[in-house]
Amino acid sequence: MKISHLIFLGFLFILIMFTITTYINYKQAEKVNENSEWFEKSTIVMQQSNRFQRNILSMVSGLRGYLLSAEDHFIQSYDSAAQENVKILEQLQAIIPDTSGQSISLRELVKLNNDWMHDFADPLIRAKKAAIRSDSSLAAYNALYQEKMVIGTEININRRLQQKFRDFTNFEYQLRTARSRLLSESIRQTRTISFYLTTFSIVLGFLISLFLAYRISTRIMAMVKMANTIAAGNYGVKTADRGNDELSQLASSLNHMAEVLSENIRLLQRKNEELDQFAHIVSHDLKAPLRGIDNVITWIEEDHSTELPPKISEYIQLIKGRLLRAENMIRGILLYARVGKQNLQREYINLNALLQDITENLVQKPGLRLEIQPNLPEIYSERIPLQQVLSNLISNAIKYHDKPDGYIKVYVRRPNDHYEFFVEDNGPGISKVYHDKIFAIFQTLQERDSFESTGVGLAIVKKILDDRRQKITLISEPGNGTTFSFTWPK
Amino acid sequence: MNVINILLVEDDTLDVMDARRTLSRMDILYKMHVSKNGEEALAYLNELSASGGVKPDIILLDLNMPKMNGLELLSNIRKKSEWKDVKVFIITTSEEREDKEMTQKLGVSGYIVKPLKFNNPSSIDSFNLMIDLLNIKNKS
Repeated sequence: MKISHLIFLGFLFILIMFTITTYINYKQAEKVNENSEWFEKSTIVMQQSNRFQRNILSMVSGLRGYLLSAEDHFIQSYDSAAQENVKILEQLQAIIPDTSGQSISLRELVKLNNDWMHDFADPLIRAKKAAIRSDSSLAAYNALYQEKMVIGTEININRRLQQKFRDFTNFEYQLRTARSRLLSESIRQTRTISFYLTTFSIVLGFLISLFLAYRISTRIMAMVKMANTIAAGNYGVKTADRGNDELSQLASSLNHMAEVLSENIRLLQRKNEELDQFAHIVSHDLKAPLRGIDNVITWIEEDHSTELPPKISEYIQLIKGRLLRAENMIRGILLYARVGKQNLQREYINLNALLQDITENLVQKPGLRLEIQPNLPEIYSERIPLQQVLSNLISNAIKYHDKPDGYIKVYVRRPNDHYEFFVEDNGPGISKVYHDKIFAIFQTLQERDSFESTGVGLAIVKKILDDRRQKITLISEPGNGTTFSFTWPK
Repeated sequence: MNVINILLVEDDTLDVMDARRTLSRMDILYKMHVSKNGEEALAYLNELSASGGVKPDIILLDLNMPKMNGLELLSNIRKKSEWKDVKVFIITTSEEREDKEMTQKLGVSGYIVKPLKFNNPSSIDSFNLMIDLLNIKNKS
């Protein structure tokens, strides 16, 4: 499966988990809300039923009081309580759902109360009110009183009423407790589910990221290792990658690149070998006939120098000059071809010692002093190429020097990330026209046969510097000496 | 003075002439046999040892020859015990270090770089040695 898909799926899964958790908690919040509302209502029910009960008690005491004392304020409290109860009843009926047990209980309560009012309270009150006006009414009242109150039916109804209230209240409390327990249970459940879902999401997320990291990281590391191996010079590696996702594509591209590189390197090596062979053939096989000619010319001179007409002697000198030139060119070609094949080993180089070595090996000219900057730094670089460059530049300066008091100065500057070497002389100078030409192979500025020069000195310098992507610059004009300066990597 | 027997193994005619000229300048009596390449030289040597002829005192050996080159001939010579002590001087154009090393390993008395000029700096010691040897052999 593609890695991007895998990542996407992983995240999606975790998101889903969290969504479920959130939803469960949301639902739970709703339940709690609902519960609060129910508890509010239940509280109102309790309050109202208490007030109802108290009103009934007021009515009872109002009735008793009035029956005993015939004072009007008892009737007032009775009436106001009865009126309030009507309202309370409406409220209760509105709050308590019709179908519930409480509703039935309430109806029974109300019925009992109504019965009490209807059968006992109201007639007795009416009788009492009437009793004030006449004796017969008083007698009728007493008879009624006896009938209703003394027997105890009224007390029974009251007791049952009170009992009913107690039942009502207890039941409401039970409902509350049950509700409360249910809610706690539901909260506990939600907590548990949330906890497990969250933990599971976290663990799963962790595992997915571990898995992905491992899968991606190990494969990437394998490819990094392969790339490093290639960079180190071993082109024959291959990475074995299974699967067909983006990383596999990368792996197969890497493999292909390594193959192409390897092939190109092989090609290059073959070309180099061909070039080597060519140079070897040129130098070796060309040399043989030249040597033969040289030998014969020498023998002519050795055997017959006195007998030769002057013209022939002159021609023989010309031949010898050309032979020398040919031998020098061949030597130059070999030297030039060999440049760049040395090992690129770095070592610590004492520049003063190096320049000392170079100048010891060069033939000095009288009237020419060599001034090398003292206390040159010690650098860590390739010795042989640097030696070749400096040697060639200095030997050129010596070769072309033309003044009785000439100097060659060698010094070094150290701008930031590289070295700058200078070889300065007060020789004849080089016209700007030739500043580029002189670096070409076999280009000399003297006549071809008047100078013993291989013609490759500066070409070799240029090649060594080009191979290392360094620059060489030339400041010179005729009559004003020459300064060669080149950069060298740190 | 004794006659020194010299075997010259060289394929280039001009180089052969050069060797003759140089040797004739020295004050020695010598007899020189020239073989054009290693194969011929080996055949000559084998014939000599078979017929009981006089072995060469010195072999002047070129390295680059067709059919069998100098190194091959040298290793073949050194394999036979009777040829182990023959003085061999290499006379070659090659200044390659590998050739110098290989010939050293096989045991040579000197390594001279052509042309056989007296002041060739890279082989003057070998040349002088050869001359000394020739003179000694000659005088004895």
